[in-house]
Amino acid sequence: MNATALAVLVYPLLSFLLLGLVWPLRQNGRLAGWISTLAAVASFLGSLRLLWKVLEGEGVGSATIPWLVADGKVIAELGIHVDGISASMLVVVTLVAACVQAYSLGYLADEPKADLGRYFTWHSLFIVAMGGLVLAPNLLQLFLAWELVGLCSYLLIGFYWRKPSAGRAAVKAFWVTKFADMGLLLGLIVLYATTGSFEWSTPVPAAWAVVVPALLFVGVMGKSAQVPLHIWLPDAMEGPTPVSALLHAATMVAAGVFLIVRAYPLFEAAPPLLLAMTWIGAVTALVAAVTAVVQDDIKKVLAYSTCSQLGFMIAALGSGQLMGGYFHLTTHAFFKALLFLGAGAAIHATHSNSIHQMGGLWRSTRFSAVLFIVGAAALAGIPGLAGFFSKDLILEELLHAGQYGPLAMLLLSAGLTAFYMTRVVAIAFFGPASEGAAHAHESPPSMLLPMTVLMVPAVLAGLAGPLFAGLWNQPYHFALTPVGGLATLAALSGIGLGVLRYGTRSWASPLPEGPRRFILSAPIDSFWLAAWQRGLQPVARGIGWVDRYVVDGLMNAVGWLFLLAGEKVRALQTGRAQDYVLGVLMGVLAVVAYGLVGAA
Amino acid sequence: MNELLANGPGLGAWLSLAGLLFCIGTYGLLTRKNLVAVLCSLELMANAVNINLVAFSRFHGDELGQVFALFSIALTVAEVAVGLAIIILVYRQRQGIEIHELTDLRG
Repeated sequence: MNATALAVLVYPLLSFLLLGLVWPLRQNGRLAGWISTLAAVASFLGSLRLLWKVLEGEGVGSATIPWLVADGKVIAELGIHVDGISASMLVVVTLVAACVQAYSLGYLADEPKADLGRYFTWHSLFIVAMGGLVLAPNLLQLFLAWELVGLCSYLLIGFYWRKPSAGRAAVKAFWVTKFADMGLLLGLIVLYATTGSFEWSTPVPAAWAVVVPALLFVGVMGKSAQVPLHIWLPDAMEGPTPVSALLHAATMVAAGVFLIVRAYPLFEAAPPLLLAMTWIGAVTALVAAVTAVVQDDIKKVLAYSTCSQLGFMIAALGSGQLMGGYFHLTTHAFFKALLFLGAGAAIHATHSNSIHQMGGLWRSTRFSAVLFIVGAAALAGIPGLAGFFSKDLILEELLHAGQYGPLAMLLLSAGLTAFYMTRVVAIAFFGPASEGAAHAHESPPSMLLPMTVLMVPAVLAGLAGPLFAGLWNQPYHFALTPVGGLATLAALSGIGLGVLRYGTRSWASPLPEGPRRFILSAPIDSFWLAAWQRGLQPVARGIGWVDRYVVDGLMNAVGWLFLLAGEKVRALQTGRAQDYVLGVLMGVLAVVAYGLVGAA
Repeated sequence: MNELLANGPGLGAWLSLAGLLFCIGTYGLLTRKNLVAVLCSLELMANAVNINLVAFSRFHGDELGQVFALFSIALTVAEVAVGLAIIILVYRQRQGIEIHELTDLRG
């Protein structure tokens, strides 16, 4: 099993090293792309084999090597931990990664060769890092991989580095997630200080039982874009669309959810935190869904939608059940990646991100339009498609936990989800014909093929419920309960409303002008900006003053003292030989006098 | 030989002579302005030491002291040669050999 699991990591690692070290290969963009894509495909096949073995009950367990050794004691280990969770997550990661890389070959075909080589190098590194995260045997390795995927995110958001806005977005994503990672790091330190290990399930002493998972959760909020730390994700859309699909929709942002699933024994010991998670998740789901409604940029709609769906997962995990959140993570990865790739196809065809510039795309790019609509239907929760099953499970778990407030918010979000996706589809594909769509051509096969591949799980992954139940050793049988009925009703009414409002090809504003402007002004971003300007900067200036005038002042005073002393002492050095002889004479006399006195 | 030892001046007298010479040399070393005079003062001091060596050798009956004094004289000759050479070079550079003018090492 170790060989199979390691192979999943080794192919992309080899690809990364090859592209990273052999620069002529990297400079030749397309070749680099093929190498990286083939490595991703090999990695996918390896992880399929791994999942197959695990399902047959083989090869579950971990293999580690000591990493940090101090005082003869192993502080942390590096290695791989294979079980149903990591094996299934690996399949998701590598499948989406392989599809996205193949898609990138077509989508980024016109980019400079050197940029393309760099792009695929980072992509290979990302697969290694994400695989290392998923297979991590302890929290420390997870943290290591966590930061590596964060680095890849930064590098890939800044792919269009000639655009200042892309650079700013990359820096913003980096800083916001790093800010949240302070919590994660602090949590790890407290965890090690109190338990002496980085294992998933070491019980933490009661006094720290809430603090440790709460600190870990701060990191999760940053990575998985929970309100109010979600502000980097919409800006991250400055990166190329395939990057958004892989990192900022399917895999990296789900790392936070994965962390909670993995370290659930820690979280389970802190019921107040679980309650807070449910509410934060529900608020995120609702706020992001409302924000998505007013966006005109197709990628921004999808970004807020990702935030919203991550809120669903976090809320579900807070309800005390793991399966719903994890199941939704996997189905969401497939259909959201498909949606992003579909959006990329539309952007590729019209050279614009605005849905109003895509009007009437249905006529020119029918095939990719169908794929996008399938993804949208899966996201909206049309019965039978992937999103329906996992969302239904989440809502039932919340009902089971008696969380009626968050449940209502999630139901509302589900309706809004259906509404904003209908709005996008109606305007972008069936809206008034636009100039952009008039010259649009269908995407090349290198883009359509990966999308078609992704469409299969986006439609069918919902049927994998029993498989996931097997991973958790839980009974699962799907039944259309009242909650499921309500969710379906919410989805259908959202679609109905959307069709009513936009089906007549009107350019109606989705919300009244006042609220719309308020939401578009990004109030939470403004809050953080103000907190930075009025809260953090004065503190930083104060610390800077102390450093400059107190700490440095002390150092300067010491230096100045010695300068002054030297200035005084130099008068002794007259440069005249006879003065020195006199000094020697005095010295000799002093020694003799001392000798006489000592002898007496 | 023994007669001289018995009737001549004693060890104290010789040491006093050497001490006197040494002090005169030191005074000259500290006060003379001319480099050649300073070198002469140094010579006086060296010879005071030689007198000590010879006197002790004589009164202890150990000839090694005289051998040592001979070595010392030979070395002093070399030293004077080098010293005079330096003085000539100083004169060539500065057209003067006043010791108080040589203050390049002032701090």
